[in-house]
Amino acid sequence: MKKLILLSIALLAFIASVPAAEITVFAAASLTDSLKQIATTYEKQSGDKISFNFGASSTLARQIEEGAPADIFFSADEAKMDGLEKKNLIAKTTRKSRLGNVLVVVVPAGSKLEIKSAGDLTNAAVEKIALADTKAVPAGVYAKAWLEQRQVWAGIESKVVPTENVRGALAAVESENVEAGVVYKTDASISKKIKVAYEVPAADAPKISYPMALVKESKQPASAKKFLDYLASEDAGQVFQRFGFILLNDR
Amino acid sequence: MTAEEWQIIWFTAWVSALSTLAILPFGLALAWALARRDWPGKSIVETLVSLPLVMPPVATGLILLKMFGRHGAIGGFLHDTLNFDVIFTWRAVLLALGVMSFPLLVRSARVAFEEVNPRLEQIARTLGASPWRVFFTITVPLAARGIIAGMILAFARALGEFGATIMIAGNIPGKTSTLSLTIFQDVQLGQDEHAFRLLGASVIFAFAAVWCSELLLRRKRKIL
Amino acid sequence: MNLLLKKILLPLADFTLEVDIEVRDRITAIFGPSGAGKTSLLDLVAGLRRAQSAFIQLDDHVLTDTAKRRSVPTHQRGIGYVPQDLALFPHLSVRQNLLYGCKSGAPADPLFAFDRVVDVLEIQPLIARGVTALSGGEKQRVALARALLASPRLLLLDEPLASLDAPLKAKIIPYLTRIRDEFRIPMLCVTHDRLEALTLADNIVVLVNGKILQTGAVLNVFNRPANAEVAKLVGMETIQPGHVMDVNGGLATVKIGKATLTALAPSMKPQEVFACIRGEDVILQHDNASTTSSVRNRLFTRVVALRDEGALVRVELDAGFPLHAFITRPACAELALREGENITALIKAQAIHLVPR
Repeated sequence: MKKLILLSIALLAFIASVPAAEITVFAAASLTDSLKQIATTYEKQSGDKISFNFGASSTLARQIEEGAPADIFFSADEAKMDGLEKKNLIAKTTRKSRLGNVLVVVVPAGSKLEIKSAGDLTNAAVEKIALADTKAVPAGVYAKAWLEQRQVWAGIESKVVPTENVRGALAAVESENVEAGVVYKTDASISKKIKVAYEVPAADAPKISYPMALVKESKQPASAKKFLDYLASEDAGQVFQRFGFILLNDR
Repeated sequence: MTAEEWQIIWFTAWVSALSTLAILPFGLALAWALARRDWPGKSIVETLVSLPLVMPPVATGLILLKMFGRHGAIGGFLHDTLNFDVIFTWRAVLLALGVMSFPLLVRSARVAFEEVNPRLEQIARTLGASPWRVFFTITVPLAARGIIAGMILAFARALGEFGATIMIAGNIPGKTSTLSLTIFQDVQLGQDEHAFRLLGASVIFAFAAVWCSELLLRRKRKIL
Repeated sequence: MNLLLKKILLPLADFTLEVDIEVRDRITAIFGPSGAGKTSLLDLVAGLRRAQSAFIQLDDHVLTDTAKRRSVPTHQRGIGYVPQDLALFPHLSVRQNLLYGCKSGAPADPLFAFDRVVDVLEIQPLIARGVTALSGGEKQRVALARALLASPRLLLLDEPLASLDAPLKAKIIPYLTRIRDEFRIPMLCVTHDRLEALTLADNIVVLVNGKILQTGAVLNVFNRPANAEVAKLVGMETIQPGHVMDVNGGLATVKIGKATLTALAPSMKPQEVFACIRGEDVILQHDNASTTSSVRNRLFTRVVALRDEGALVRVELDAGFPLHAFITRPACAELALREGENITALIKAQAIHLVPR
């Protein structure tokens, strides 16, 4: 009897010692710090390895379309995820809108500029405004939507310096080569070289929603699904909240 | 081609031409000094001039960003004293194009100057010509073909510049959008058709530039 | 004119150029073998080169003074230069080349009026042409004219006849003498050709390995070389060591090899000498012992070798020492000279130049 138990344990251990999976997550730039922290915890727990490709959601979606080896896609807006779903590149059933965010106007830490509304951005003192590219990058798309809604976009369009992703806009403000920028509140919180001049009220801002999903072509669907589930878990949720993200209810 | 696309092509062409003209005086002066003179530190200068050719363009762009940004050595002075910005303006495009194409001009011009028989310059001096007169009436005309070939190469390089440009000028529609930057953006946005039209324009430019350069060099070889 | 070339020290590849002379005459030749530093010297005078030490003064103007760190730039020296490769500007027409040195389109000094120079050098038909289509002689004249039209105070010429064949040389030499006579410009010519030096120059400076071996009037240097090296340069075929045994009444008895000869005694009366004899000065005749002549030296020789050299034949003789003679071909035929034969060689006492050893 003892021999049988020992044999079963050995067998189980053998089966359980599957080689660790390596999961690649394509995620929006604004998720950089939070996801890295979550991944570190998860790696210790599961033994799997998580590697990231952070960037503008538009760029990442394009790369996935061209066959880049992603297992999970975590976008900063629904439109990019819709695009991939239409092309049948994601597992629809795994799609979940996970996070919300808040837009803020940031200025360099030493700046004396006062921004109390969207209209203040039209001041002559604001010569250049950094936004993530408003044509495709979610942060830029959101920012433009807000400024259009406030009927200020036409007035400031000529001052806009588009950057490749939202962290680029942040860096531009940090370097003081622009007077102001519009980024997510979660981005502003990680930088000491800038300060928040104005928080866009929820009523004015467009709905910001970060969906995540499993990429159909994933080579490790099981392990990827496991990590995806972890991202939806309460533990991960607490980390996101600490960084300033809003947790959305499941769709 | 839409009006916007023509604007991008036109902007790329004139800023490339302007950058080539802007680097010409200093480039020729340096090429001449490298060809005709020896001085302590010459090899360091030679290496520095060649750096933009060898370094990744984005790395050069980063150096320019640090130098010409509002807190940079040069940018700070320009901003504080003259209220003059470079980064994120068309002037940054000019700067990026100029810096990246400078080594090509200097190398071609240097070789052209080295091929001018120094005896001709010396005799011109004995005939009473000041060093400036010798330079403009003897040296430059005899080196003209090589100098022009160098200018064409520099122009072509400027047309295709991307890495340094995106670093310090960004891709601001209507202000700093060049052909290369727009093609890159179009691909990101999934606007492939748009990108291919601009790609076509790029190819035509590059073809014309290199063909002219080859033509000039061929004629030079014939005369020799 | 007065050109001072003093304290010149210029290290070159194999030797150092050391010059300390005063040049006064109208045409001075700097004569020496190739690579002796002659072109470097011209470059120094023109200001195209810097020396370790130099003091150069032309008439009243100090052009270079390294001690005071002064050097007049080339384009202000007013010294014309015609280099060996002529250096005509290939991208300019002949007319443009000619007028290059003229400020405001015409020569400053009426002495060098455009038409006059063109006339003297006979280049009128060439004016409208391009430089590359000219022949060697035509290029030479254009280069000379170009230098003259800049109204120079001194003209430097580097091997002016070197790249020309014999008939062309004969054609150009009159132009050079015309320049000397019509324009009265002092000229400094560099040459390694004896004939050029003899024909053109009044004065000659012998430069070998960067050192001046002798200066003086051309004929003087050629007939009375100061030492064996100069003798070789000026074309004395026979140079043999000898020993002066006795000097009497201005004549020296010299033992050369196995023979004893009479020569003019040099003023210093040294004991050990080199005896230098020009091949042209040796007369050959079949022995006729009874004939008396003014010739002091009659040597019994044996023909060692015969070499054809154009219209002449070089006869190598054994006269108790190696002796060279130049005779014409018809003469050689008449004498029916053959190797191994005996023949008498006659040499005048004045034709034997003794040089201290």
